[in-house]
Amino acid sequence: MNADSISVIKVRDILMVTMPPDPDDPTVSALQDKVLSAMERYEAKGVVLDISSVETLDSFFARTVSETAQMVTLMGGRTIIAGMRPAVAVTATEIGLTLGNIETALSVDRALDMVTSKPRSKKLQ
Amino acid sequence: MNAAAQGEVQIQTESDIVIARRTVREAAAQTGFNLTDVTRIVTASSELARNLFKYAGGGVMRWRGIEDKGCLGIELQFIDQGPGIPDTGLALQEGYSTGDGLGMGLPGAKRLVDELEIQSVVGKGTKITLKKWRKS
Repeated sequence: MNADSISVIKVRDILMVTMPPDPDDPTVSALQDKVLSAMERYEAKGVVLDISSVETLDSFFARTVSETAQMVTLMGGRTIIAGMRPAVAVTATEIGLTLGNIETALSVDRALDMVTSKPRSKKLQ
Repeated sequence: MNAAAQGEVQIQTESDIVIARRTVREAAAQTGFNLTDVTRIVTASSELARNLFKYAGGGVMRWRGIEDKGCLGIELQFIDQGPGIPDTGLALQEGYSTGDGLGMGLPGAKRLVDELEIQSVVGKGTKITLKKWRKS
């Protein structure tokens, strides 16, 4: 795997998607395609998006993540964003970025706990 | 980093946006900004570098170390010969976008730095200057 590309691994019913630290725009754009085609191929129940190595979350990146999560929801899946760094969370809040109603988790471990516990009932808004 | 340090990055392709981010990250870290401030500056530069690429067909990012009364900081300039911004006040408004963006690039960047100034002439180009000072 190229260190600068997105990795998608199926673990049981879940897609573990890992973002590289500093992806260029085409790599970010590829997120949607990779995740949606893997959802279909593996009949996954949901996606855990690991952004723990991501150092910069700008508006383009945030929008792509948010749209991808919406699409996963439409396909009947669930998305949990895991591992946002503190400095990234501060900056994202100040810049006014929201990730819609996507679930978040402190770490991939916590995200997996969430997925294996009861499913989320909240509807797509 | 001392106040004389400076450099520039040509922004013509999408990978140049990544190079701009890395350059700014290194320069800001060397100025002694903490990680949160480094992230703020890098995020602002990412928004503006992308604007150069998307709306102006490319341009140049210049950075330099600055000093005022013993206070250190960093100045970034994003210069293009693009179409220009007819109404700079409007461009800084939340949610305003001529492209397919969220309209939060420029106003978002402004909130992450201490100063942001836009000089733009329609048909000639745009120069956006931003400054961030280190809290001593």
